[in-house]
Amino acid sequence: MGRITCLTICCLLSAMPAFAMHISEGILPFDWAVLWSVLVLPFVALGVRQLNALSRDDLSLKPLVGLLAAVVFIISCMPIPVPTAGTCSHPCGTGVSAILVGPLASVLISAVALLIQALFLAHGGLSTLGANVFSMGVVGSFLGWFTFKALRRMGASLGVAGFLAGILADWGTYATTSLILAAGIRGNSPFLPLFSKVVIAFIPTQLPLGILEGVITAGMVQLLYKKRPDLLVRMKVITEQEVPDHV
Amino acid sequence: MHHHITRQTFDPSHWVSALDPRVKLLSAFALLGLVISSHGIAFSLVVTVLSLALCLNLGVTPKTLALRFSEPVFIAGTVLILKLFCAGNLPLFTWHLAGIELVGHRDGLWEGVQIAGRIAGGVTILAVVGFSTPFTELMAALSWLRVPQSLIDVALFAWRYLFLLLEDAQVVYHAQRNRLGYVGYRRGLSSFGTLAGVLVIKAFDNSQSVTTAMVQRGYDGQMPMLLHKPFVARQVFCSLFFVSSLALIRFI
Repeated sequence: MGRITCLTICCLLSAMPAFAMHISEGILPFDWAVLWSVLVLPFVALGVRQLNALSRDDLSLKPLVGLLAAVVFIISCMPIPVPTAGTCSHPCGTGVSAILVGPLASVLISAVALLIQALFLAHGGLSTLGANVFSMGVVGSFLGWFTFKALRRMGASLGVAGFLAGILADWGTYATTSLILAAGIRGNSPFLPLFSKVVIAFIPTQLPLGILEGVITAGMVQLLYKKRPDLLVRMKVITEQEVPDHV
Repeated sequence: MHHHITRQTFDPSHWVSALDPRVKLLSAFALLGLVISSHGIAFSLVVTVLSLALCLNLGVTPKTLALRFSEPVFIAGTVLILKLFCAGNLPLFTWHLAGIELVGHRDGLWEGVQIAGRIAGGVTILAVVGFSTPFTELMAALSWLRVPQSLIDVALFAWRYLFLLLEDAQVVYHAQRNRLGYVGYRRGLSSFGTLAGVLVIKAFDNSQSVTTAMVQRGYDGQMPMLLHKPFVARQVFCSLFFVSSLALIRFI
């Protein structure tokens, strides 16, 4: 019976467009909505504090973070075909924003992008904003940033580090979304079976999409390295010694 | 990029659009709280019907509504089917499909209907707010609610330059497509990576030029916010009455 239900869910959800990665308004009961909002507050507060401190010295930082939020919004609106699912999906974009401006500012970026999507596109919602920021902003950003920094310290190239950071940021986001969803909608059912079913349901789209996000993140970082390494130096992604000679 | 993003507020002369955004936002928060804490389907349905009627009364076309609600409707349907087959103990029906036995559960279906109802209620409340309030007014209301100013500033910058970057993205995308940039999967991915990279470069460059222009106009790190008019007593009392009436229905 378990296998049958798993199969059913896979069939049902594999055709779901991945903007469904945002947990929809109203899907979480009141107590869960409050819990995720409270959990995300310290990260937002730290992000705001960091942004305030840094923007005292550099007035262009707030416009930059705002424009990057617009970029993340646009990236997460761009459909990419997922061959295994026969549908379109889209990347999160928080991996790359975390690499560029750090994880705390990236939490703010995702909060803003999610707020606009909730209010004007009905993607996500206000009651689920905390849960969505937690999965996409906190988990996605920190996982992407830690992966990138750790791999760079181990001597990995920008492309490899960006690729793995993009993959893990995406997969981390979806694993957390599955956890939040399963906990929120389980009702009286046991948590673990439902969680595993939701995870399995996400696999047909998110497994290939994570790899695509990795490729795109790596491509983006490499393009910046080739065309505008000064930006990467400014964002402390690379040092001045690493700037290519031809530039 | 098929998403329907609009700056337009429907019928600015409508009484819902004319409501103080702070009153509107607080009422929306209260209603959202009532919807997501409700058990059963009746209250969510009442809120959904009222909100949909308000949207139509605001002049929102059914097509725009259908576009806006396509994703939540799909999610609600999926959750409903998920709960029907994966939750509950009381069998409602059994299907035999190609040797596979599918059992739908009565209690699972009820749980799914409740969640779908909450989704419908929540999404339609947000739609009324979104269709009747300009973004800058919403941000000013959030600022009044003590949301950190930096977050508001970032949101205002993002909103202001979103459409500009969207146009840039469309120009680059069409240029790539005309040069067969999306023929083949590998090439498509490479083009998409380039497009995303170009957008980041544009964001960096725009942020510099925007800052220079704003500093020349007196920008000191704080974005000016809209000044609120004093609360209108009639609006506050009417909203309180409206929310209290719905709360009464919810608790009955």
